[in-house]
Amino acid sequence: MKTNRMSLVLALLMVAGMVLAGCAQAPPATEAPPATYKIGFNSSATGTYATLGLPEAKTAEMIQEQINAAGGVVGPDGKKHEVEIIIYDDENEADKTVSNVTRLILEDEVIVVVSTTGSGTSIAEIPVCQENQTACISMASAKPVTSDSESGTEHKWMFKTPQTNGHAGAWQAAYLSAIGISKVCILHTDDGYGTDCLANFKAQAEAAGLEVVYEAGYAKTDTEFSAQMAGVEASGCEAVEIGSTPPVASLAAIAVRTAMPDMPITLGHGVCNQPFIDTAGAAAEGTVFPCGKVTVIDEVADDDPQKPVLEQYIADYTEFTDGESISTFGGHAWDAVMMAVEALSAVEDGASLEEQRAAVRDYLETKIVEWPGISGLFTFSASDHNGLGKDSLLFVKVVDGKGVAFPESEW
Amino acid sequence: MPRIPRSKLARIAAIIVLTVAITALVIGLGSRKNLQPKHYVQLILDGFRGGSIYALMALGYVTVYTVTGIINFAQGEFVMLGALISISVYNMPLPLPPAARLVVAVGSSILLTTLIGIIVERVAIYPARLSPTVTLIIITIGVTITLRASALLIWGADPYVLPAFSTLVLEDHIFRFGGVTLQAQSLWIWGTLAVVLVLLYVFLEHTITGKALRACAVNRRAAQLVGINPSRMSMLSFGLAAALGAIGGIVMGPVTRPIYDMGLMLGLRGFVAAILGGLVSAPGAVVGGLLLGVVENIAAGVTNPTYKSVVAFVIMIGILLLRPQGIIGRGETGGEQ
Repeated sequence: MKTNRMSLVLALLMVAGMVLAGCAQAPPATEAPPATYKIGFNSSATGTYATLGLPEAKTAEMIQEQINAAGGVVGPDGKKHEVEIIIYDDENEADKTVSNVTRLILEDEVIVVVSTTGSGTSIAEIPVCQENQTACISMASAKPVTSDSESGTEHKWMFKTPQTNGHAGAWQAAYLSAIGISKVCILHTDDGYGTDCLANFKAQAEAAGLEVVYEAGYAKTDTEFSAQMAGVEASGCEAVEIGSTPPVASLAAIAVRTAMPDMPITLGHGVCNQPFIDTAGAAAEGTVFPCGKVTVIDEVADDDPQKPVLEQYIADYTEFTDGESISTFGGHAWDAVMMAVEALSAVEDGASLEEQRAAVRDYLETKIVEWPGISGLFTFSASDHNGLGKDSLLFVKVVDGKGVAFPESEW
Repeated sequence: MPRIPRSKLARIAAIIVLTVAITALVIGLGSRKNLQPKHYVQLILDGFRGGSIYALMALGYVTVYTVTGIINFAQGEFVMLGALISISVYNMPLPLPPAARLVVAVGSSILLTTLIGIIVERVAIYPARLSPTVTLIIITIGVTITLRASALLIWGADPYVLPAFSTLVLEDHIFRFGGVTLQAQSLWIWGTLAVVLVLLYVFLEHTITGKALRACAVNRRAAQLVGINPSRMSMLSFGLAAALGAIGGIVMGPVTRPIYDMGLMLGLRGFVAAILGGLVSAPGAVVGGLLLGVVENIAAGVTNPTYKSVVAFVIMIGILLLRPQGIIGRGETGGEQ
């Protein structure tokens, strides 16, 4: 009985306290605070693409912190709006990508979506973004992510920030022709990234007059490559192009080096993070590949318009993650999220969600011009939702365990 | 289903015809791709290397299956744990020369993984021991997901490097003869498989515990009647399977780049090897593993390597449909009691 009465008194006191506190703090109550703008973010922070998706998710968290520390985004009304980034993980599984993006658009009612890490999974989300008329900015490189393979036109609501395998293939073909190669072999992972590498490397090589004499795939988890090496040796090619991400890219490079020590090896820009060089060891020496500038910051010229952005991102990310290594993938996320944040400045507070979403899309397509990002100088247009050229990549060669700039003059 | 010839002579004739036909097919396909004899030697050598790992994994499956009737799908995760734990220990700043550090790393990794195997059995399998086998198999899938997710939290998503045993650095010795290459690590892998087989034989045939384990595999009820505790044996089998997995993970560490999700495909390949061997016999598991490695590699070499994983699973389906007792089994089926 006694305890009951005591708790009753306590509860009354608490209610009274809350009422009093509320009275003391009550503002003059004239208008609602500026709305919080929501960005949806989805990457493959776990699963087979975790090496790519995890730095992407961390970058998104970092940007959320930075924007709100600065008070938010200034809208057309001149007020600062807080930005909320809702972060999901799709484990690189297409069904989870679709359900995450659907949830972001329909339930979380975000204005713009940044999603996702893989090419295959990004392609899976296209219908969701198109039907719900919400701009989706992908961090995957394959061409079909933004462009319709039949008509060749860009999907209205799809954008992407990474350099494409077409840019990478163009560098490789140019290099191999320059050093006098005429027959090439292409090895690739049998996933979305690898097959896109194959298609683009092949197209670019043939356009440059090279003959592709052998092509073979392998699974991301493979560790034995003697079948591929027998094929490479028997085909008589003079250079090998590898389209994979580590760790299998490292194992494939080691296999080539073991079987054919003098074979020139070029790779795609999927290997531009330290794990490739760390896990391939001596086999990485002398390999060449195009890279996003963020991974080779010391090699970027001082007058490069991207340089200040790159240095700032590297400093911020290193501090935010307590010194984790910088990868090009986090950079793709930085570009996508920062573009989305900038586009939010075109969003009218109080407009309908449809209008807000359309405003963001139009901003992306028309106002992102010569926009210095991590992955390049972006210029979006109705016919180009990637907005990058071959010069967004820097061609590097591995020397003493480090990628160094390898400009055309040194070939 | 084809009619299997009854008489011994007809059977031998059938095997010879089949062998000749397959060899002709392989050579025919290979010549279209311009393959030379040295390429076949290379494919077989590397096939034996991969196959040895499958064999170690298959032994793990067989150990658990014969004693408990459970197909332990977490076997691949034990391999992953073995590899990653040994790397973590090796990279610890111990005041030891690299060779001694490697020995410490190998020893502690096997011990820790064995312990994890025992814990898994006590925490996840033992409380559900009276449930139907299917439930227990589903539990092992749950264990698989738990172990993999924990590994992601501990080691992150990056691949790691275990130095080659001979050189103690990332780059291994490579022997070259007549256009064929052989990494020194392959010798370590084969040697390890041989030593493991001898130890396993001695343990199962010449120790009381080993004999109890075998008794349990032959007939659990009868073993219980003569005073063997089946629950203890179940625990032991998981510990043993974990140790076998860890050993496989460690020796293959230098030729792969261990990563938290490596267990899945390996686990499935090991399972195919165990099926090839009939699931109940240790020699069968070893032959199955080696055979799978070689067949897979040759098939990939003469056709399109992209289909390498397909080969393993086509073999599995074929064996399960035509010879569920395994290719070298004598007709006995499963260890289910």
